Amino acid sequence: MNQNPESSVSPATVELPLKEAVEPADQEAVAGIIERAWKDGIPVYPWGGCTQMGRGARAVEPGMGLSLRGLNRLVDYPSRDLTVTVEAGLTVAELRHTLARHNQRLPVDIPNAATATIGGAVAASVAGPRQFRWGTLRDYVIGVRAVDGSGMVFSGGGRVVKNAAGYDLCRLLTGSYGTLAVLVQLTLMVKPMPEETAFVIVEASDHGDAERILAHLVRTRTLPSAVELLAGPAWESLGDGLASRGGFWIAVGLEGSPDEVSWMVDQLQAEWREAGVALWHTLHGDEAWAFWDRLTEFPWKAASNNGDGELLVQFHVFPSAVCELVQRLRASQPRASIQAHAGNGVVLARLDIAAEQAAAMVEQNLRPMSASLGGRAIVLKQPRGSDLSRQAIFGPAPPGWQVMQAIKRQFDPKGILNRGRFLLG
Amino acid sequence: MLTAMKAPLLAKLRRCLGRENVLTEPSELVVYECDGYTIEKNQPDAVVFPRSAEQVAEVVRLCNEYDVPVIPRAAGTSLAGGCLPVGGGVVVMLTRMNRILEIDLRNRMAVVEAGVPNLQLSRALAGTGYHFAPDPSSQVASTIGGNAATNAGGPHTLKYGVTVNHVLGAEAVLGDGSIIQCGPLPEPAGLDLIGVLVGSEGTLAILTKLWVRLTPNPQDYRTLRVIFNSVDDATNAIGDIIAAGIIPAAMELMDRGIVEAVEAAFHFGFPLDAEAIVVIELDGLSVSLDWQQRLVVELCNKWHAREVLQASTRAERELLWKCRKMAVGAVGRLSPSYCIQDGVVPRTQLPRILARVTEISGKHQVRIVNVAHAGDGNVHPILLFDERDKEQVARVLAAGEDILEECIRCGGSVTAEHGIGVEKLALMDRLFGPTDLTAMRRVRDAFNPAGRLNPGKLLPSANGDQTFRVGASRRALP
Repeated sequence: MNQNPESSVSPATVELPLKEAVEPADQEAVAGIIERAWKDGIPVYPWGGCTQMGRGARAVEPGMGLSLRGLNRLVDYPSRDLTVTVEAGLTVAELRHTLARHNQRLPVDIPNAATATIGGAVAASVAGPRQFRWGTLRDYVIGVRAVDGSGMVFSGGGRVVKNAAGYDLCRLLTGSYGTLAVLVQLTLMVKPMPEETAFVIVEASDHGDAERILAHLVRTRTLPSAVELLAGPAWESLGDGLASRGGFWIAVGLEGSPDEVSWMVDQLQAEWREAGVALWHTLHGDEAWAFWDRLTEFPWKAASNNGDGELLVQFHVFPSAVCELVQRLRASQPRASIQAHAGNGVVLARLDIAAEQAAAMVEQNLRPMSASLGGRAIVLKQPRGSDLSRQAIFGPAPPGWQVMQAIKRQFDPKGILNRGRFLLG
Repeated sequence: MLTAMKAPLLAKLRRCLGRENVLTEPSELVVYECDGYTIEKNQPDAVVFPRSAEQVAEVVRLCNEYDVPVIPRAAGTSLAGGCLPVGGGVVVMLTRMNRILEIDLRNRMAVVEAGVPNLQLSRALAGTGYHFAPDPSSQVASTIGGNAATNAGGPHTLKYGVTVNHVLGAEAVLGDGSIIQCGPLPEPAGLDLIGVLVGSEGTLAILTKLWVRLTPNPQDYRTLRVIFNSVDDATNAIGDIIAAGIIPAAMELMDRGIVEAVEAAFHFGFPLDAEAIVVIELDGLSVSLDWQQRLVVELCNKWHAREVLQASTRAERELLWKCRKMAVGAVGRLSPSYCIQDGVVPRTQLPRILARVTEISGKHQVRIVNVAHAGDGNVHPILLFDERDKEQVARVLAAGEDILEECIRCGGSVTAEHGIGVEKLALMDRLFGPTDLTAMRRVRDAFNPAGRLNPGKLLPSANGDQTFRVGASRRALP
């Protein structure tokens, strides 16, 4: 078997009950490994950079660890076509670096880029602040190759930016957490790199004020890349004591040519002055690029204790309900650190909490809170030592559950892929 | 026709929907024998007009009871036979489910029934500062549900993406008659069923309601008409513009043949000796459009543009777009029948595919004129013929197939935005390998295990036998 001893994975990082861990060097070897596991009925736990392994329940059944990091080739990069084909184990940092040499980028925020792999990011459908203008990985994956739960290699999509041939297997696999198939190769659409960026940041005294500001943004003449609502201790270092007064920051990220960014900064400031909004700060250049990084890393950059004591929950509500949700969260958990991709209705909350209280917190407090606003909540990371059930992590089965289960049975009839970790595991 | 055994089905359909909402007379059914792909035709056994998802679900349940295929259809503007009733059955018309239920600007979203025409939503949004971005050339008639079922594109997909990028949620009736709602909030714990339903051509479910994303209107436009002395120069300029990091809202190419047709029909004043005309639209913030335009003109001039004309008024811009969107219709001037193909290649392969189209035209002695969403690498060769001449029809089918095979060889696909329908079934196993098709069949079997929803479309049957083929005499593909 092809193995790469240089990058063997420590089970402590991965927290999986492994009988064995392998790191194949090519796609055929991945198929062979899964086929053998299928024949033996042994669970397979795939991973890339292990940056998102906190998602899902702790696996209990011993199985085969499958590192995809040996699949790290750049397959094809016809930059004039604005597409790139890579193996799943390529790190996000390497991909970014390659694209940057041609002034291009994948405009999706993926934390821990140096270790995160593109395949892992797609499997977990990782997205950050830029989804407001640029969408999510589902909008960029145009071709996939993957191995199903019996070792069958199949492809979907292609290498063209517009393709209506057959079902969209790319979208089906993006965000499926490796429960249908293990991704081995991806073709992505890419975009030109903007030259300039800035953030215009304002403060809101309470949630009503924040909602007024966000609602006003619906009419803006600018084209924000991100609309973020920030609150809580993690943002105290932004200064001026707002966090301790219970207020919010609203940060609008702007990207484009220098002319565009400069015009948008002036325009947004003027729109907000007219609306009586108190401007707090504008970030330009390097400071603004660094702020993008900070926003991207927030969910995984723990405040204390290496994050071991943290519960990270992601809510999905309508954008119009974001401020109300954040207000209720803070009333209930004053020490929560919160980042909302407010334009998209995605709210991330980090709470320091004892492991044994995590289940009750999620099931009796946080999930009912989002449900009362018509939303959903999932746990992205649980405190070390807690052992939340899949039900606690993901909540009730989503609409279309029977169809999803039928798809799962079709692609992984023995249920060996990520067994026990996700709703469809 | 339905056998006498199915008479109880018709009676039940009438009882469920009202007599006036069930058509069964051959003279009434003739309208539904094909869509925009007219090479194959077959009449359905009945056409029904439900007004709610519940009625659609009831129709599906009744058809299941009597083992009759169900074919969803709205405006019927699709171009690949996606709503051709290949094996007969009941056509479910969504056109009376045509209410715009909500426009929610705060959440940048609209909720519509599936039968709302694309342009009707745009009109309803006038003055709000927002629009629904997908703009297929059929948008006057085609519906949002149909756009979603085929994952429709249009000229502006270059910058704004195709329909799937703009659908947040869907209500759908599954093959067993159950109704599901996916979205409009993203599903963080399960699978992206919406992403699979969009573009599934009615083979997985019948879409009855959609939550769609609204896009802010651009602040300003620059619309240019550029004339080139060769198609190669035009495609090279287009490649250079994208490579320079400029993503125009649209880059539409028309060759000399289509320009002749457009001129004959509408007298827009296009020069008849132009080998290629490219309509380039830049949109966005006013502050950036001047330098973008300068760069675009520079790159066009580098490729020997003969003339660059800017639409200086709104009326001029609208005229240019009218001309582009009516171009296909104008082809009627050139020929009694035409077949519009839909192929796509990586952008950089555009010169190669268009050169091959010319060769294929010569080889099969079929006149072909071209329009293309060139910025996306999406070509629409239009094959001209007389459908009364069987021998011509055979040559047109062979030429179309050659073009699409060439698209595959260029690393592209056999459809960018029209779908597979019945027209391209035989090409699926050339584009995809056996395991790829197996994966797709699994998806279909999960949604539509009995296979009564729009059978004989999108996926070739596993054993290669096209059970539902009709009009064999008109069918050149094996």
